[in-house]
Amino acid sequence: MSLLSPQIGSQMVDLGSALLLLTCFAIVAQRRLSACVDLFALQSVFLALTAALVAFLTGIYHIYAAAALTVVIKVVVIPRILKQVIERLNVTRELVMNVNVPAGLLICGALVMLAFFITQPIIPLGFLLTRDSLAIALAIVLIGFFTMIARKKAVTQVIGFLVMENGLFLAATAAAYGMPLIVELGVFFDVLVGALIIGIYTHRLQDAFDSVDTTKLTILKE
Amino acid sequence: MAWPLFLLVATPIVAGLGSLLVRERRAVEVLQCAQVGAMLASAALVAERVIVSGSVSVGIFLQADALSAWLDLIIGIVGSTGTLYAVGYVGEEMDRGHLSFRRYRQFFCLFDLYLGAMLIAVNLENVAIMWIAIEGSTLSAALLIGFERSKAALEAGWKYVILSSVGIALALFGTILVYYSSEHVLGVSSEALRWSQLYRVAEGLDPTAIKVAFIFVLIGYGTKAGVAPMHTWLPDAHAEAPTPVSAMLSANMLTLAVYAILRFKAVTDRTVGPEFTGKLLIGLALLSLGVAAIFFLVQRDYKRLFAYSSIEHIGIALLGFGLGGLGTFAGAWQLMNHALAKSTAFYGAGLVFLRHNHKLLDRVTGLLSQMPLAGAAILVAGVALAGMPPFGLFTSEVLIAVRAYTARPEIAYVFLALLALAFATLLYQVFRMAFGAPGEAGAALGRQCRLFTGAAVGVNVVVLGTIGLQVPPGLETLLAAIVKMFSAGMEAP
Repeated sequence: MSLLSPQIGSQMVDLGSALLLLTCFAIVAQRRLSACVDLFALQSVFLALTAALVAFLTGIYHIYAAAALTVVIKVVVIPRILKQVIERLNVTRELVMNVNVPAGLLICGALVMLAFFITQPIIPLGFLLTRDSLAIALAIVLIGFFTMIARKKAVTQVIGFLVMENGLFLAATAAAYGMPLIVELGVFFDVLVGALIIGIYTHRLQDAFDSVDTTKLTILKE
Repeated sequence: MAWPLFLLVATPIVAGLGSLLVRERRAVEVLQCAQVGAMLASAALVAERVIVSGSVSVGIFLQADALSAWLDLIIGIVGSTGTLYAVGYVGEEMDRGHLSFRRYRQFFCLFDLYLGAMLIAVNLENVAIMWIAIEGSTLSAALLIGFERSKAALEAGWKYVILSSVGIALALFGTILVYYSSEHVLGVSSEALRWSQLYRVAEGLDPTAIKVAFIFVLIGYGTKAGVAPMHTWLPDAHAEAPTPVSAMLSANMLTLAVYAILRFKAVTDRTVGPEFTGKLLIGLALLSLGVAAIFFLVQRDYKRLFAYSSIEHIGIALLGFGLGGLGTFAGAWQLMNHALAKSTAFYGAGLVFLRHNHKLLDRVTGLLSQMPLAGAAILVAGVALAGMPPFGLFTSEVLIAVRAYTARPEIAYVFLALLALAFATLLYQVFRMAFGAPGEAGAALGRQCRLFTGAAVGVNVVVLGTIGLQVPPGLETLLAAIVKMFSAGMEAP
C-alpha cells in the first residue's frame, strides 16, 4: 500500500479491467476460431494481472493463489483443450453468424452502457480502490452471454461461456476483494470440469452430426 | 448426534466411486441397494433430529434446518426409489446388449454423484459453496442427459449444458453481489457468506444491491428450475435422458433450484419486505403455468407431456411461495408431493419405453391390461398430478387458490383457469394411455427389471397415498418451521 497512493492503485485496477473489456470486443470481432482462443487466453492473462495487483494493493494474500490458478487453468489448460478440439474440426473460420460483426460491436457497446446503468446505484457501496470494476465485470458477463447467442459454432459458444466466467471472477476479485479461498478453489474446479464436459460434448456432436454448427441441432422441436 | 447428516451426504459419493471400482455387476447392485438403505435411514434420522431440536450441524459447513430437512426427505426418498428403479432399468438395457459393463458402471457413478451433489447442496451453510455443489449437480446431469449418445440425446444435452451454464453463471453473479453487500456489515470473511449470518444482518444490507442480486439469482436458478421463459431446455432433456435420470431431474433437481431461490428470498424479504420477491415469483409462476397449459395440448410424446407437467407444478409451487403465509405451507407441500408423483409417472413411462421402444403418445393404449405395473403407476401419478383427491397436490392447489383469492382475487381466477386447462388435458391423455384395448405387443421385460422397478413404484405410491390423506405430525412441525422462516419478513413494514 505504501508504494502506491490509493488513487494510482485504483486507476491501475481500472486499467486492468478496461483491458479485459477491450479483449471482449476483440473476441466479438474475430471470426477465426483459433484466434478467439488466443484472445481468451490473453484476456485471462489480464485477469490474472489485475487480480495480482489487487492482492498487492490490499495485502489480501489468497488472491495471489486465485491469480496463479487463473494462469494455470485459463491461460494454459483450457486454451490447450480448445485448440485440440478445433484441430479435429473441419472449420477454422466462422463465415455466417446470427449477428454480423459491426452490429455485434454496436450491441456490445449498448451492453456496456446497460451494465453501468444497472450497477450505478450500488457502486458507491464498494471499496474505493476497485469499485468501478463492478460495472466492467457485469459488462463482460453480458458480452460473454451475447457471444453465446450471436455465434453458431459450438467452440465459440464455449468461449462465450468462459468470457462470462472471467467477468464473474473480476467481479469477485475486484469488487469484493475475492471470495474466501475455498470458494475460489471450488469455482475453479467447476469451471475446469465444465470446460471438459463441454469439450466432450463438442467431440460427440462432431461425430454424430459431422459438424459443430449448432444451428444443425434441430431434431427436438415443438 | 450429527452423524446421520454426515452419512446422508457421504453415502452417495462413496457408493458412486465404489461402483466405478468393482468388477462385477452383482457388486454394483449390492452397493446401490446399500446406498438406498443408508440414504433412506439417514434422511429420516436427520429429519427427526431437526424436528426435535430445530437444526443439526457437522463441522463448519454442513448444517440442516427445517428447509434443508424438507429437501433431505424429498431427495432421500425419491433418490432411493430412483436408484432402485435405475438398477432395474439400466440392468434391463444391459441384458439386452445395449450397454457394456463399463458404461453400466459409469452410469451408476454419475447417478450417485449427481444425487450426492444435490444432497450436499441442500445441507450447506455457505451461500457460495452451495453454488459450487449445485454446479456439480448440473455438470453430472449434463453427462447423464446425453448418456445414450443418440443425436437427439446429444442435442438435448448440449442445450441443457449451455443454458444451465449461463443460468448458473448469472446465479453466481447474484451470489457475488450478496457478498459484495454483506461484507460491509460482516467483514471480508466466510462469515459474510453464511445463511444464518445473512438472515441476522439482512435488515442492514443495502436494499438496491440485494434487489439486483435477487433478480440475477432468480433468472439464474430459475433457468435450472425450468421456470418460463427460461424453460426451453427442460422438455428436451426430460424426454431424451434415460428415464431414471428424467425422474431425478424432475423430482429432485427442479426442487433443488427452487430451494436455492427460496434461500435468497428469505434474505431479500428481510431486507426489502416480501412485496418485491412476491411480485416477481407470482409473475413467473403464472407465465410458467400458461406455457405448460398451452403446450400440453400439442404433445405427442408421453415423456414430454410429463415434462411440461413439471413446468406447471414448479410454477404452482412458486406461486404459493410468492403469495406467502398459507401459500408457503402449500408450496412446500406441493414440492414434496410433486416429486413423489412425477417420479412415479416417469417410472411408468420408462417401462412403457422399454417395452415399445418409442415415446409416441397416441400409439400407447390399454396399459392397465398389458403392463399392469406401468399402467397403475401412470394412472395413480396422473390422477395425483392432475390435482385430484385423495392426493396431497389436491390439498396444496386448493390452499394456494384460497390464499390467492384472499390476497389478490384476479390471481386466483387466472390460476384456476390455467389449472382447469392443464387438468383436462393431462387426465384425458393419462386415461387414454391406461384404459382401452392394448396396441402392439412389444418386448417383454425381464424378471429382475420388474422386481426392482416394482419396488420403486410401490414405495413411491405408498408414501404418496399415506401423506395424501393427512399431513403426518412430524412433517407438520417441519412445515410450520418453514412457514415461520418466511414470515420473518412479513411483519416488516
